Amino acid sequence: MTPVSEILAHVDRLPAFPTSAIQLSGLLRDERAGAPEVEKVVRPDPSLTANLLRMANSSYFSPRSRAETVRQAVALLGMKRTFELAVGAALARMIPARLPGYDIDAKSFWLHCVAVAVLSERLAKETRAASPDLLFTAGLLHDVGKLAIATFVAGAAPEILVKARAGTDFVTAEREVLGVDHCEIGARVAETWKLPPAVSWAARWHHQPTAAPEGVNRTLVDLVHAADSLAISLGLGNDVGEMARTVDPGVWLRLGLQVRRMERVAGESLESVRGLAQALEAGRENPS
Amino acid sequence: MSQITVDISDMRVSASPDDLIVTYALGSCIAVIVHDPKRKVGGMIHYMLPLSEIAPEKAKDKPAMFADTGIPELFRTMYGMGCDKKDLVVKVAGGGALYDDKGLFSIGKRNYTVLRKMFWKAGVIIAAEDVGGAKSRTARLWVGDGRCTIASQGEEVPL
Repeated sequence: MTPVSEILAHVDRLPAFPTSAIQLSGLLRDERAGAPEVEKVVRPDPSLTANLLRMANSSYFSPRSRAETVRQAVALLGMKRTFELAVGAALARMIPARLPGYDIDAKSFWLHCVAVAVLSERLAKETRAASPDLLFTAGLLHDVGKLAIATFVAGAAPEILVKARAGTDFVTAEREVLGVDHCEIGARVAETWKLPPAVSWAARWHHQPTAAPEGVNRTLVDLVHAADSLAISLGLGNDVGEMARTVDPGVWLRLGLQVRRMERVAGESLESVRGLAQALEAGRENPS
Repeated sequence: MSQITVDISDMRVSASPDDLIVTYALGSCIAVIVHDPKRKVGGMIHYMLPLSEIAPEKAKDKPAMFADTGIPELFRTMYGMGCDKKDLVVKVAGGGALYDDKGLFSIGKRNYTVLRKMFWKAGVIIAAEDVGGAKSRTARLWVGDGRCTIASQGEEVPL
């Protein structure tokens, strides 16, 4: 068995999150920052600029207007949205062609990230929950731990799969076999990359929101949990073990969810999810 | 041999014996797999939701999203290609569920219940099925000989 310390050391060796995205995270906290400051950060990075504009012009983010420049994108979408897009654009470049332990390729993994981001926002609207800050980004990055832990899961796959087939949920099987799961690792990755707390909360608690301690935005982790369950259920980017997951009943109570409402959200979101995933997939394939 | 992929909320039919029809990542969604061994015609739908009443407009544009609009459309298309109902071999896969003691998240079950009701009314017999459980499935149909397989959690078995 791989010692946990070795897995954690691997997290520290992950490629750095692009400086531009981290700088944008800093700008978010600065009330005086505006379009010129964002432009200064994004423009020197041509691939980020291209991806950001591609996303900004997708029908999900701006169904009516078009942005030709970074400055226009910020004017159109606002700072928070621009940051969310920049993180998305940055993440898209970091996904390897295949995540071995999860038996999923980059395209499906990415589809899943985008689906959870979009469905989290749609569910917030449907349940009239006050939409938490950076919900889209938190949804997009909820499985970021898988990027770091995939090779270790691959090494232990036979053992993990035996447990999953016997009825243990996959994330518990990960923990039992590796001593750590993709949620814990995800939170650590988010912290290493200096991403906002919303991202690390969603990564850490998306499988068991009810267990999240005081201080964590519960609505945020609830929405990401529900969106993740829905995305997996609909087959939007399923990996080898994700169907073997436990639904947290507390989430349903707190959000007032009903299966018909979930179905409506699913029906309405499929096109947006596909459109946005494709816009970004193009950026992943041609990172220039 | 060419491979035809059926996306979520999509339906495909082929009369080329060399074709392989495949759909991936069936979670709570259901694939209905229909084959006519006499005419060597195969068809598959991958529907996502049980009833179109939640979005009638969407159903006009994408009937294959829903069981109640998509399944009849699949059979009509098969009949349009000269198939006869009595010759059709019908198989079903998917309708999975997450671990959900309280049954809060029952899209898979609802998808399956609606299908059973429709088939019962229409007198369609299911030749084989692999439904339910906490797993994601990939379904394949070889149009030439009607062979079917289901792959899940790293294993592929005939259906």
